[in-house]
Amino acid sequence: MTTTAPRASARPEARRRPRSTAVSRAPWILLAPFLALFGLTFLLPIVVAIGQSFTSVTREGLFGEAGVTSQFAWFDNYRQALEDGNFIASIGRMFLFGIVQVPIMIVLCTILALLLESAAAKLPGLFRAAYFLPYGIPGVIATILWSFLYVPGLSPIIDIASSAFGLQLDFLGAGTVLWSIANIVTWTYTGYNMMIIIAQLKAIPTELYEAARVDGAGPWRIARSIQLPLIRPALVLTTVFSIIGTLQLFAEAQLLQVVSPAIDSQYTPNLSAYTTAFAYNDYNVAAAQSVLIALVAFVLSFVFLRLTNRSSK
Amino acid sequence: MNALSRRQLLTLGVGATAATILAGCSTPGTTSVNTQPTLPPADGPIRLTYWSWLKDLQKVADVWNAQNPDVQVEVSWIQGGNAGGYQKLYSALAAGSGPDLAQVEMRSLPEFMLVNGVTDLSRYGVQQYRDRYDETLWNQVSFTGGVYAIPQDSGPVGMYYRPDLFEARGLDIPATREEWFAAGEVFRDEGSALIDVFPISDTSGFAGYAGQAGATWFRADEDGWVIDMADEATLEVARFFDRAIDERIVGTSYNPYTPAWFAAAARDEVASLVSASWGDALMTGISGAEGKWRVAPAPTWSTGFGSTYQGGSTAAVLATSRHPKEAMEFAVWMTTSQEGIDAMIANSGIGWSPARDIIGTAREGGSEFFGGQSYNTEVFQPATQQQNPDWSWWPVTQQTFNILADGFRRKTSGGTLVDAIATTEAQVIEVFRNKGLTIRKADR
Repeated sequence: MTTTAPRASARPEARRRPRSTAVSRAPWILLAPFLALFGLTFLLPIVVAIGQSFTSVTREGLFGEAGVTSQFAWFDNYRQALEDGNFIASIGRMFLFGIVQVPIMIVLCTILALLLESAAAKLPGLFRAAYFLPYGIPGVIATILWSFLYVPGLSPIIDIASSAFGLQLDFLGAGTVLWSIANIVTWTYTGYNMMIIIAQLKAIPTELYEAARVDGAGPWRIARSIQLPLIRPALVLTTVFSIIGTLQLFAEAQLLQVVSPAIDSQYTPNLSAYTTAFAYNDYNVAAAQSVLIALVAFVLSFVFLRLTNRSSK
Repeated sequence: MNALSRRQLLTLGVGATAATILAGCSTPGTTSVNTQPTLPPADGPIRLTYWSWLKDLQKVADVWNAQNPDVQVEVSWIQGGNAGGYQKLYSALAAGSGPDLAQVEMRSLPEFMLVNGVTDLSRYGVQQYRDRYDETLWNQVSFTGGVYAIPQDSGPVGMYYRPDLFEARGLDIPATREEWFAAGEVFRDEGSALIDVFPISDTSGFAGYAGQAGATWFRADEDGWVIDMADEATLEVARFFDRAIDERIVGTSYNPYTPAWFAAAARDEVASLVSASWGDALMTGISGAEGKWRVAPAPTWSTGFGSTYQGGSTAAVLATSRHPKEAMEFAVWMTTSQEGIDAMIANSGIGWSPARDIIGTAREGGSEFFGGQSYNTEVFQPATQQQNPDWSWWPVTQQTFNILADGFRRKTSGGTLVDAIATTEAQVIEVFRNKGLTIRKADR
């Protein structure tokens, strides 16, 4: 750098240097508030959680009144988390949930987006807002609203089904409540994903449509050969978000617990970590569970991206 | 130079904050306040704080505050138990900034002892108040010679029932579980109502039944915990409800006091409910139920006791309190004086008072909702005399209940409650060991 520079050019260099440090300093100063918050609220908790997940506690006496010691536990907390059948079952349950719910939702939101963007659509603005509306309702409120439609004795759906058709519906039983949750999630997020896809559809140049029409393509052909291939990035994005969202399912299960005895305290992976930490006071195993959830989400998203990248080549 | 120092400052600041936070994250509760010297009584006016989820408790404290200008009590409302209050208390304890007093459920007290969060009041002379309290409840806050909280309220169990529905089927009110089962069969055969529901996901009720039948699941011995979940009394209760569920005498699709239960009760589909005294306030939530319900003693098992306590909470003096003696005295006044109890019933709607001789003025007369029946003096007061005195709570109560509920849920897919008991016992032993606690199975 400047130390090896010839003497003759030292003066201009020297004049430029303060300016260049000022320039290189500026972004850091501007970034500092963000970096501080990012570090404190994002990076540090992750580091602490990973640290906690490798710590364990032993107690002397009936309640630890004779002494409590923490020590490095290697993978003992991970062993406990993985040996916990309910935690593994919760991840399995979310796999099942994701395999069924994510494709249904993605297909549904793609169809809605294509219909609303087709030339024949009536009042597209109104319907776009209507489909998007559920996303504006907080998940907690949405679950409470839906639970009134699920609870026997309160639900008009159950009443009508049993009086008019003689059907005994049970939305909250052991075999059905997962799909009742899937219904709430689909209802909430279909409109949101639809908006992402519509944004991508709007970015398709009109020349492509014109060219297709000149070539004699009908609406069906346009959707299949032009729109679907071009909204592919949006579809990949919404699917990855949905996979991550599925693993993070929490509020719906937590709230429906009140009305459905079939939902246990470890029904979803996040609920499991929450219960372990705050009901059982076992922060170390809870940290191990959280790290495992993050790993699974990471691996799944990575695999999905790899698969879609490969098939596009 | 200027830039460097600024960046250094920033790094230092972030680093220092991070270090503080990391230090705060070390496993809390490693030192016990109960091995340190006792704190002397205050020599000037002090202000105590009490975190509780009882409503309008400040009005109760105001009665005390008017009489005790030197010890002013300030109440802060927290969310109930595991719904958020405990989380707040645990983090306050970890940070060393907890209140003087906190509401802690009986069953959760050992969990707070596990994080060294409560003060042993026997070192502040609490034994002099012992005879003011119900013996069973006093035992539930006493462990290995110490007293770790003041009982605040509880719920002796009775049976709420619909006399009209029983009479319509020509049934007497069952006094034993055998009679209850026979009545249940009549209800099932007739078809329009069930005698009761069995909550498979809230096993605290089942634990109460087991205690009533004479079981004592946990015992704190000097050399560690002793577990005895699969004893004959518990298995009798489990077999009984296995049969009741198999023969469709009880429903399992919803728990008592849930929206579905209230809806069913309003449609006359629930004939009775074995529940605690604090259920009286909840029963008034059934629409159109005024005057329809009465209270009878709980049906008894072939062994054991006439009733059992369900639920209940304590006022615990936290380890962070600077004035444990004064805090204890306020809690004793609140739970054993006539004015304290009356104020707590009127303002906070507490459960059954733990005081031995005072049930509260409001509970002495008849109740309009229960058709003029003086059910408190008729049923619940005698029930407090028929309790299992040995029942004791343990440090992983919530987890045990959840594990048991997971086992009970398998009932819907072919499992049995009896199997669930055995697997729960094994799992809970593992949970104790993972917490670094000593536990062994009872010799039988």
